[in-house]
Amino acid sequence: MSYGLEISDSSGNTTFSTADSTWTLLGVYTSNADTSTDHTGVPIMTTRIVTRVMVDQISGDDESYVHTFSLSGSTLTTTRPHATETVKTVFMVFGK
Amino acid sequence: MAYGLLIKNDDNEVLIDSDYPHYHFSGKYTHDSVTQVPDISYGGVANAAQGSNANKGMENMPSKGEIYVFTVPVDGTTPPMCFIKPTSSGTSAPYTGIVLTKQVSDEWEIHVFQSTVTSASPVLYCFAPLSQIDNTTSTTYGLKTFNSSGVATFDSRFKPLRVVGGGDIASPGLAHTGSNGSGYTVSLGINCSSSETSFTTQSSASDLIYYCPSIASACQEHTFSESDSGFHSWTYYAWARGDVWWCFYRSCFRIKSTSVFEANYGVYARGHVYEHVVDSTNVFAGLILGAITGGAYFAAAIAALIASGTFTSADLDGGNYLPYENSYRNNSANAFIISKASYYD
Repeated sequence: MSYGLEISDSSGNTTFSTADSTWTLLGVYTSNADTSTDHTGVPIMTTRIVTRVMVDQISGDDESYVHTFSLSGSTLTTTRPHATETVKTVFMVFGK
Repeated sequence: MAYGLLIKNDDNEVLIDSDYPHYHFSGKYTHDSVTQVPDISYGGVANAAQGSNANKGMENMPSKGEIYVFTVPVDGTTPPMCFIKPTSSGTSAPYTGIVLTKQVSDEWEIHVFQSTVTSASPVLYCFAPLSQIDNTTSTTYGLKTFNSSGVATFDSRFKPLRVVGGGDIASPGLAHTGSNGSGYTVSLGINCSSSETSFTTQSSASDLIYYCPSIASACQEHTFSESDSGFHSWTYYAWARGDVWWCFYRSCFRIKSTSVFEANYGVYARGHVYEHVVDSTNVFAGLILGAITGGAYFAAAIAALIASGTFTSADLDGGNYLPYENSYRNNSANAFIISKASYYD
């Protein structure tokens, strides 16, 4: 590395450097079952991704729809695909 | 940012921003147990005097995958990011995905589903914000940042998450394409094409770990019914048989190569419920239809299985795993992230 930042542990192994890439957690938002919700105040970074996780869900007897979403500016819009079969969904927004 | 620390790499991507919590390595975990969803099998007489006795079990049904149960000691409400180190990579590797993320007291229960049974086992590399991991160490140097409330957001002593690739990936639609079967012959094996997404080329596929929660499912069935009645040797006869075979598939993933991530399905649960009755009276009054999905007979059969403790023994939630018919859910794109096991070994 000719320039930038490199952080090493006590053994001299690099634990992090500006040659790396990472995703920073910007926020965790929960949309409850069978509801559509707009989450506001989402921090803005140049690049963002959203992961969806079905928490506590195995999909045994119900259709287990996961919310769909769109992220624009500081608003994460989450939409229930089904009125009674949409499960609680956790959205994790990452940025870099 | 009015104050604090903001570090970007030469792609102008944020690496450290003291305003936000960063994910740090909480540990490498092996599974506590391995289980499978029990076969959901229920029916009437095994060998009736009239009508076909073919396939009253699970003949021709595809094999199920297996479920690895992990306990991850991450104490907090933000779910951990659990990266899977699969048993292998490449075009013959099984597909693997996290199908359950559940907080239990001060830990998280994670279920990792693998599409085929293997002798080797997947391993989890888990990450969480500093506030949710055991963040004590005797090491006294490194780089640590705090937000405006004085809460630590980055600490180089705890191996911050380093990413080498990622993107979005959508799972296929139906797991099985074409006919689902004919008569008493079932055809529900996974034959759909995998979907794939490219990521930045790496040097070794076997060193890669990935984060991508499974959200997609597919459920497909084959139903068949037949009956006959008439006189034989001056005696009236009547028989009827109705069957439903089904598979419930969950999406899962694999590292296809040093630059390609693939999604497909594994058979998570499977079932067969039938009713076969030989009777000279009233045999057609709904018996066949009653055996088919959603009928009273079907519901009773599933209830009996749950009551028998079949699912409890497998340490899984009970259910019919037939929530819909010949369709799929949640196959829209979900984000995935790639890292390297060697960063944390």
